[in-house]
Amino acid sequence: MEEEIDEELEEEIDEDLDEDFEEDTDDEEDTDDEFEDEETSREIVAPGEVLSEDMENFIPGRGTILNKKGTKIISVLVGLKQIKKNYINVIPLNGFYTARTGDKVIGIITDKNPVKYRVDINAKYNAILKPRNTVKRSKMRRRGKSSHNLNTERFDIGDVIVAKVISADRLNNPELTIVGKYLGKKMGGIIISIDPPKVPRVIGRNGSMIKMLKSLTDCNIFVTQNGRIWIKGDKIKKERLLIEAIYKIEREAHTRGLTDRVEEWLQNEKEKRGIK
Amino acid sequence: MTLLIQDEYPKKLFREDGKRLDGREKLDLRPIKMEVDVIKNADGSAYIEWGNNKIFASVYGPREVHPHHLAKPDKGILRVFYRMATFSVFDRKRPAPGRREKEISMIISDCLEPVLFLELYPGTSFEVFIEVVDADGGTRCASTTVAALALADAGVPMRSLVTSCAVGKIDGELVTDLSGIEDKAGEADLPTAMTWFNDELSLLQFDGQITQSELEESLEMAQDALEQIYEMQLDALKRKYINIQEEAED
Repeated sequence: MEEEIDEELEEEIDEDLDEDFEEDTDDEEDTDDEFEDEETSREIVAPGEVLSEDMENFIPGRGTILNKKGTKIISVLVGLKQIKKNYINVIPLNGFYTARTGDKVIGIITDKNPVKYRVDINAKYNAILKPRNTVKRSKMRRRGKSSHNLNTERFDIGDVIVAKVISADRLNNPELTIVGKYLGKKMGGIIISIDPPKVPRVIGRNGSMIKMLKSLTDCNIFVTQNGRIWIKGDKIKKERLLIEAIYKIEREAHTRGLTDRVEEWLQNEKEKRGIK
Repeated sequence: MTLLIQDEYPKKLFREDGKRLDGREKLDLRPIKMEVDVIKNADGSAYIEWGNNKIFASVYGPREVHPHHLAKPDKGILRVFYRMATFSVFDRKRPAPGRREKEISMIISDCLEPVLFLELYPGTSFEVFIEVVDADGGTRCASTTVAALALADAGVPMRSLVTSCAVGKIDGELVTDLSGIEDKAGEADLPTAMTWFNDELSLLQFDGQITQSELEESLEMAQDALEQIYEMQLDALKRKYINIQEEAED
């Protein structure tokens, strides 16, 4: 009974959907899946562990530091050890999101005033969205009126937006824009969040994982860098299955052969639950 | 009229067979069990059972500082909240934080700060909440150990872990890891903590009477004990992921 109601609701929302989002929302075409990389060992390291004392052949990379004397390379995170060319990196297994210029993020409007919106983007600072970065797309400029903010989009507190970070540094709050492809307000669907370092794993190498999830569950997925994932499918059963699959990927992110294992698991579950 | 009842301690802290009251040798540690990721809503968390001590630690951050005037424009701050549950000790502990809690919060925070890269997170705070649900001597050492684990579990970049252990003197003999009764009835208590990226002491408190040569000897004993505990810490951190690896890849 409950599911029936849900499905009806879904259909209603479907009609409301902004036409811009009807298209397939693919994201992150050029993301490297570092977890699946052949050079990544399955060795888990902890902060303070010595990765190498061979200073002639190796250079400290991401997630590592040199000790005071400069004789050892030390990990600063809990993660997987990776040797790439002559760099030693540590791929983090847990952590928080730090906004970087160019990232696509899903944010929730938490405050608004005449000059800016405040957006929660799951980072340590709230992001700022200024009206000049919200100029509406595909709408004709109204003639005859010169008011400067007529063609800006209006949001309410609690609205969910997909935005791009246009400036972010250590000192100032990051600034967002919603001008661009796939950006803007999201209607309908479900948003789940995962650990931000595991986002590359959900996308997979050249998007292999996300393609597999899409084809097996017939859902639209939009993965963003801050660990929030937007999901929308035609049936609530399929959406539930997909959410479980994503949490499974998050949990087993550091294991080998994940794409095949998840594919097998999804097919088994589909049979069990009677999803066609 | 108030009635003063003096605490009764055993006259001897060693048994006749030369072992300590709980059956340990002089250099033995109490049984230690550690686990990470025990609190779902925290960014990172850890739990330790060290003898009869049972302590939870949770980490939140980096996040905005409240009250705002504590925020520093050039670096983040680390705030530690050490609290004891009312039922954690024999007499009911009053729940308001007292002088002792503030002191221990401060020393744990000072002891963990050198391993964090606080300058990377200006205007933010990392908050560590330590809740002692059962206390039996050496809670400041156990709290420091478990707080470091929780920080690592939260994904906070750290130069190394921090490990802490107490050494002391009871009945004229130097021993490692004092229990509650040895702490109260013994002659000296010396909590130490170590940061492993530079092999330096990050905490050294002292209470009691001890000679200089004994101090040097006890610091060497502390080093041995700390190395044992450090191995357990690393194991606890990695076990969470290794278990999933083994389960998934079988």
